[in-house]
Amino acid sequence: MNSTNRGLNRLLLLVVGLLLVAVGSAAATAVLLPSVRDGWKASADPIRDQVASWLQATPLGGTGVSWIMPAVLVVIVLAVVLLVAFALRQGRGRTGTVVDESVGEHGQTVISSKVAEEAIQDALSARPEFVASHVTTYRVKRTPTLKVSVTCRRGVSPADASAIVESNLRALDQLLGRELPALVQISGGFRARVSGSTRLQ
Amino acid sequence: MSTASVRRRVTRRELHSPRSTAAIVVAVLLVLALAWVGTEIVIALLGLPALLVAPADMFASAVNLPEAPAGIVVAAGAVAVVLGLVLIVLGLAPGRRPRHVLETERAATVVDNEVVASALARHASLAADVDPDHTTVSVSKRVAVVDLVPTSGVPVDRADVTEAVDRELAGYGLRQKVSSRVRVRENGKVGA
Repeated sequence: MNSTNRGLNRLLLLVVGLLLVAVGSAAATAVLLPSVRDGWKASADPIRDQVASWLQATPLGGTGVSWIMPAVLVVIVLAVVLLVAFALRQGRGRTGTVVDESVGEHGQTVISSKVAEEAIQDALSARPEFVASHVTTYRVKRTPTLKVSVTCRRGVSPADASAIVESNLRALDQLLGRELPALVQISGGFRARVSGSTRLQ
Repeated sequence: MSTASVRRRVTRRELHSPRSTAAIVVAVLLVLALAWVGTEIVIALLGLPALLVAPADMFASAVNLPEAPAGIVVAAGAVAVVLGLVLIVLGLAPGRRPRHVLETERAATVVDNEVVASALARHASLAADVDPDHTTVSVSKRVAVVDLVPTSGVPVDRADVTEAVDRELAGYGLRQKVSSRVRVRENGKVGA
């Protein structure tokens, strides 16, 4: 429903997972397998010399230190910024308007999503079938889309629950003069389990 | 019309886990690790003593890994591999949520399996004349399993219960057809 980039989530998990497997298995085989161990030891000195010569060849002005370290630092800061932005971008995509329309010379019509959300939530809170209801508006493919989550009491038929919400959505369609795409999520959960069953049939 | 494609997208996304929690945890751990390495680099550049390990020592111990104590290296490597495999599975597995899609006209509708189960349990216990507390229903992607513990001395008609459950299931209009399986325990419970 939200605009979370799920492919990116999975890509991050996959890349970090592959890195961990590669590093972990490399470390373990370097200690356990004699051939890998010898190869690792043989290449240790050349690598050390190579890195030392790089550090020598890249002096930072007259300070005597290489600019490789500050460069690594910059890369690290960039990676941190990207990762923080990635983490903060999760779960966004809500919108505050359901209708935004220019109607010719008479100006613009804007309907806040609060109108739709509160109309439906109000109607649903009066129903004994539901313990709780929550309505939010998201932008999906540039279209404002309502998400109606209801928590049913024990034993309520999903068909009844869906019919109740749909009739409320239709009433809203009449009110707004248009059909907003909508998602209805019918859930149970802890509050439903402890709140007792309904006597409605 | 765009409503149909919005509906398809929304339903598909509701049926699968976004993997947000795992991704955020991994991102935060990476940020912490990178921040630590960055701090060590700054401290080393300023010529101050390291917090934990100086960058030069990090590099040296990685190069001299075969000389490190074998047990610790193997254990750490194994932990890294297992964690990595868990992350790879999280990244590739479909991560289906325990939900069903309802065939409806106006809105895309998803319903948690436990809601279907609790509705079925009510009807099964009515049809079997068994206490609701002795009726257990579990709903998965394709089957609904009804477990009944009959009251001692009161026989349960399995066919009746199956019929009631099937009628209910047909009435919900689940997109993925769910078949029912009713199990009546051999041993009843006294009272209730």
